[in-house]
Amino acid sequence: MNEGRLAKKHSRAGILFTLPVTIFLLSFIVFPIFTNLRLMVFENTGEFAGGKYVSAMIKDPSIWKSLWVTFLYVGGSVFFQILLGTTVGIALDQPFKGRGIVRSIILIPWVIPGIVAATTWSWMYHGDFGILSRLLIDLGIANARQGLLTQPATVLPALIAVNVWKMFAFVSIMVLAGLQSIDRTLYEAARVDGSNIAQEIRYITLPGLRYVLMTVILLLTIWGFNSITLIFTMTQGGPADLSLILPLHVYRMGFMFFNFNAAAAESIFLFVILTILISLYLRLFSKSTEGNV
Amino acid sequence: MKKPKIGRIGLACFLTIICIFSLFPFVWMLVTSIKQQPEIMAIPPTLVPKSVTAEHYRDVFIKSNMPRYFINSTIVAAGSTLIAIGFAILGGYGFARHQFRGKILLQNAVLSSQMLPTASIIIPLFIILRSLNLLNTYFGLILAYLIITLPLSVWMMTGYFRSIPIEMEEAAFIDGCSRFGVLWRVVLPVSIPGLVATIVYCFVVTWNEFLFALCFAMDKRVMTLPIGLAEFILEFTVDWGALMAGSVLMTLPIVILFFTIQRAFISGLTSGSTKG
Repeated sequence: MNEGRLAKKHSRAGILFTLPVTIFLLSFIVFPIFTNLRLMVFENTGEFAGGKYVSAMIKDPSIWKSLWVTFLYVGGSVFFQILLGTTVGIALDQPFKGRGIVRSIILIPWVIPGIVAATTWSWMYHGDFGILSRLLIDLGIANARQGLLTQPATVLPALIAVNVWKMFAFVSIMVLAGLQSIDRTLYEAARVDGSNIAQEIRYITLPGLRYVLMTVILLLTIWGFNSITLIFTMTQGGPADLSLILPLHVYRMGFMFFNFNAAAAESIFLFVILTILISLYLRLFSKSTEGNV
Repeated sequence: MKKPKIGRIGLACFLTIICIFSLFPFVWMLVTSIKQQPEIMAIPPTLVPKSVTAEHYRDVFIKSNMPRYFINSTIVAAGSTLIAIGFAILGGYGFARHQFRGKILLQNAVLSSQMLPTASIIIPLFIILRSLNLLNTYFGLILAYLIITLPLSVWMMTGYFRSIPIEMEEAAFIDGCSRFGVLWRVVLPVSIPGLVATIVYCFVVTWNEFLFALCFAMDKRVMTLPIGLAEFILEFTVDWGALMAGSVLMTLPIVILFFTIQRAFISGLTSGSTKG
């Protein structure tokens, strides 16, 4: 409404202002997506390859294994990020001395570069000299010195732990912001009715955070699908491809095996999988909000 | 609000554990970076170093390529941030203050490009940059980073411009100021907090970026810090002391930058999501 007066007259100016962004999007996002499609169905010589690369990809068991690993890694990460992040966010909402300091401290993992998280945790997980390996031996959880990152059973949990450590503070900050928008009188009313903290969290806090949590889950999932830094540096997808998530699969096909056509097919596979996931999720989300509002 | 005592103690314990959990890897990196080589390999590891040394930092500065990577990272991050902020100011202002056909479509395109998995365009981008002769150049990497930073930057600036009252602009406009003049002389001076948040966002993201740097800048002349550190760790025998020293040096600028403008950044980040 407010924009109306200035805005309506100058529709050409709006197009001019947004032109740089538009041109950039077209040439560096839309055009590459079409290039992927071209690479998938045409040979480098320009010959039509048809479904050759797609069918080769579908018949390759490693891509399906990689998809499964991706689901495990992203699913596990998001679950624990939300669980820990929300708990910490709610705890930080309580009034206490030193709250600002605690908030700054938990933000450090989120702020430091992904590669630094990878180097530090690799060092802590080191089979011989790692302090975490040592701790697990002392606690009797591991009986011999073994790197957590080289054992098939522990590699994914170990990587998920790093990812949770890195990202939970983001959830906490968003939750903390979301909590400010909850009507405080709801708590007072509930307390008059004799509620306890658990009930307040269950019936007031969590429903009030629904929108924020849904957005955060979406973002964390997308980032999870993108998170190549930790795994590339810490395990390179090993042992036995047990941590080879899809983005790493694409990278390996393109930049280690130099098969650009196959890598393009896998890129589209990754793109389609994520798009399906997001649209299913958004549909589910809009349904659940309709039901409740 | 009076809380039961057990609740307060439980809360304090929980947050203490969380703080240790958050800080420990960081502390461990610092401690390792100042230990002498034999102590790094000591079993069991020592929490407090028996003797302190700066040799790993000296190694990083003198023996390794890190100073070069540091400069490369700075050039790329600064260059990309500069272009992103320019585009984001124009685009954000266009979205916030103007109506035009296709605006909603374009805004949705900007927002959904934020959701694009970067790994799915490394192959075509490699081909495009190669054909433009931009592989292994600063400018190639600067352009590629705009893909990552531009969508959210435009979104942040749009949100910020919308929150500014329009009356001043209308007054300036009536006084004969051009559209661009209004943006430059009236809008930008009151948008400093939003600009700072967006600049820091762009800088931090490009400083930390890994995948594009790995694919498009493998030449030592343009290689950035993250790839430099990764090379360190992928070597057959890892010099952990120097690696931790390098990690500390890479982290410092980001942590300092972040904590100086923490408040502005967090409010910029959370404002859009809570208002819905």
